[in-house]
Amino acid sequence: MAGLEVTSLTKQFGETRVLKGVTLGIADGEFVSLVGPSGCGKSTLLRIIAGLETANSGTVTIGKAEVTDTRAADRNLSMVFQSYALYPHLTVAENIAVPLRMREMTSLQRLPVIGGVMPGARHQKHSIAQSVARAADMLEIGPLLGRKPGQLSGGQRQRVALGRALVRDPAAFLLDEPLSNLDAKLRVQTRTEIAELHRKLGATFVYVTHDQVEAMTMSDRIAVMMDGEILQCATPEIIYEDPDDIRVAEFIGSPKINILPIEQSGAELYLFGRPLKWREIGESTRAMQMGLRPEALRLMQSAPHFKGRVAHIENLGAEIFAQIALNDEGLRVTLRASPAERPMIELGAEVGLGFDAAAALIFDADGKRMRKIEIIAGLTPEVA
Amino acid sequence: MAVLDMGVAAHPKPNNHEARTAWGLAAPALALMFLILLVPVIVAGVLSFTNYSLGNSGFDWVGTQNYERLFTRSTYEKMFIATFTYVVTVVPISVGLGLGAALLVHSLGRIGDIYKTIYFLPVMATLLAMAIAWEFMLHPTIGMVNRTLAMACGSWFEVIPFFANGCNDGFPLWLGDRDYAIWVVCFIGVWQGFGFNMVLFLSGLTSVHRELYHAAEMDGARSGWDRFWLVTWPALGPTTVFVVTISCIRAFQVFDTIEAFWPQGGGPNKSAYVMMFAIFEKGVQQNLIGIGSAITVLFLIFVMFLTLIQRRLVERKVHYG
Repeated sequence: MAGLEVTSLTKQFGETRVLKGVTLGIADGEFVSLVGPSGCGKSTLLRIIAGLETANSGTVTIGKAEVTDTRAADRNLSMVFQSYALYPHLTVAENIAVPLRMREMTSLQRLPVIGGVMPGARHQKHSIAQSVARAADMLEIGPLLGRKPGQLSGGQRQRVALGRALVRDPAAFLLDEPLSNLDAKLRVQTRTEIAELHRKLGATFVYVTHDQVEAMTMSDRIAVMMDGEILQCATPEIIYEDPDDIRVAEFIGSPKINILPIEQSGAELYLFGRPLKWREIGESTRAMQMGLRPEALRLMQSAPHFKGRVAHIENLGAEIFAQIALNDEGLRVTLRASPAERPMIELGAEVGLGFDAAAALIFDADGKRMRKIEIIAGLTPEVA
Repeated sequence: MAVLDMGVAAHPKPNNHEARTAWGLAAPALALMFLILLVPVIVAGVLSFTNYSLGNSGFDWVGTQNYERLFTRSTYEKMFIATFTYVVTVVPISVGLGLGAALLVHSLGRIGDIYKTIYFLPVMATLLAMAIAWEFMLHPTIGMVNRTLAMACGSWFEVIPFFANGCNDGFPLWLGDRDYAIWVVCFIGVWQGFGFNMVLFLSGLTSVHRELYHAAEMDGARSGWDRFWLVTWPALGPTTVFVVTISCIRAFQVFDTIEAFWPQGGGPNKSAYVMMFAIFEKGVQQNLIGIGSAITVLFLIFVMFLTLIQRRLVERKVHYG
């Protein structure tokens, strides 16, 4: 077990800059998710950590040792691939045994017939079989050990791939979108299992996913990547409630955060032409945007902040998401309502909306968070 | 439940009319298959027990006499030796070289295409024309091969016994020497056949999942040898079985090289008298249909036997997937 660190990594494929100076430290035993849309460079970053790709510049450190120029086989990492990459001609047991056979047996001992009579081979085989049985036990795939990957379902293959990763005791586990080929139900179940596995093993996990729900539910920390950069790396709570960048706010959270334009006139802020009753923020005129999570909006019969027409309703049972069109240009916000409020939202009905000022996030025109303005405007309590 | 019962009751009986139409539609194909593929084999089988010659009005049954000759006469012993020498030499070498060349060419980028074309040239060329070129090159006195070898005379190459003997007593006659003739034919067989095997292996290599190599690297397979045994070789299993089968059949069928080099008799002292040439000589040139058919039947049995062994191997060992 060890921590990981990457410093100022850059990677270029031809003209395309995939990574633009990524720095990330992962503590020993931590579960860190790299999350971002496809093409953001998260898989490339993981492959560079693994040693399967080389970076153009920057360093990779595992534990205390720098491994930038060490080949993948010598980095002592385990990886679970998106396609699982199981050896199709080997049984489940043999697949799981491969990392041990390759690392602990000499090439003479691995030979088909002669290998069996080499000194120590019998003992080695026995201890490998025990390790395989232990890994299979942990993942409850004991009955599958004699089968070939072709005879397994997607979920079972995924478990075998996990088994092959954890049969050893590597410095860290790298998982490249391991759940993306599973159906929705199995994904939720496996999510829990991987998180529990992490707690049980106490090992370092680096988990790449494009699914923000996976990242939110499993991680100690989430690194949100976009366009080859890490925009923010923090705990799921902070990423959700206190994002640094509008792209982070938009990527995390389902349904998506509502973004509303704010105009500034003089020292006051206006939303759709109505002044916001916030403290004055001073004269510097800037275009701004306000982010409001669907749960920060609420229905308001009297003196609403703004009004709109209900355009679409999604009833999930425990909660209702209503899309409300604010103007004719198609600007919509999503509101989370409780089932009790269902009678008030009829398709096409006009509703008044209010929001909780403390939950509002202010961003500048480029999408950077403006915490200063929020403090001045009295939205967030000042931190000493 | 009621619906289900009704469904079972309403299930139509196998319709006689439909079955008859099906047989009617399949009949032309079946008849052709029988006429073109099976009848000749049966005819050959029957004729192998006779002394029939083309043009004769009748024939006598001779029982197993033709087969007895095959297993007692020294000419046929030479035939078996030549044929098996050729098969046992050419198949492993052309398969091995094909695999090696495919692995090397596959690891190259665009230059690989050029290599592919060059290695495939002998396959595309007519073997008969190529054989003439080889005959020139292997000519004992004016041939390129012996003249090149003679250039080594007087240098330190003479330490090697082959060169020492060659410089003193002349280099081998190649096609005229009964110790070398069959090996020259084998060499040409390999030269001509491995390009074809390489192309087959190359197509097999493209189907190997790239991520498996990454998995192998993560699992600690450090050397190319480890990765080959863990990923490449198992993935090439089906291709290998196919290539070996095809190569075996082609090796058993070798004929044109022998015919081009020694139209009169299968090499010096019949040292390159392979089965196909024997069939041609007996059945066509000497019009001894009976003995020709007997060799043909034996040939078919060998090939069938080989194919059966390979099928067994495939079902037991090779992973398709």
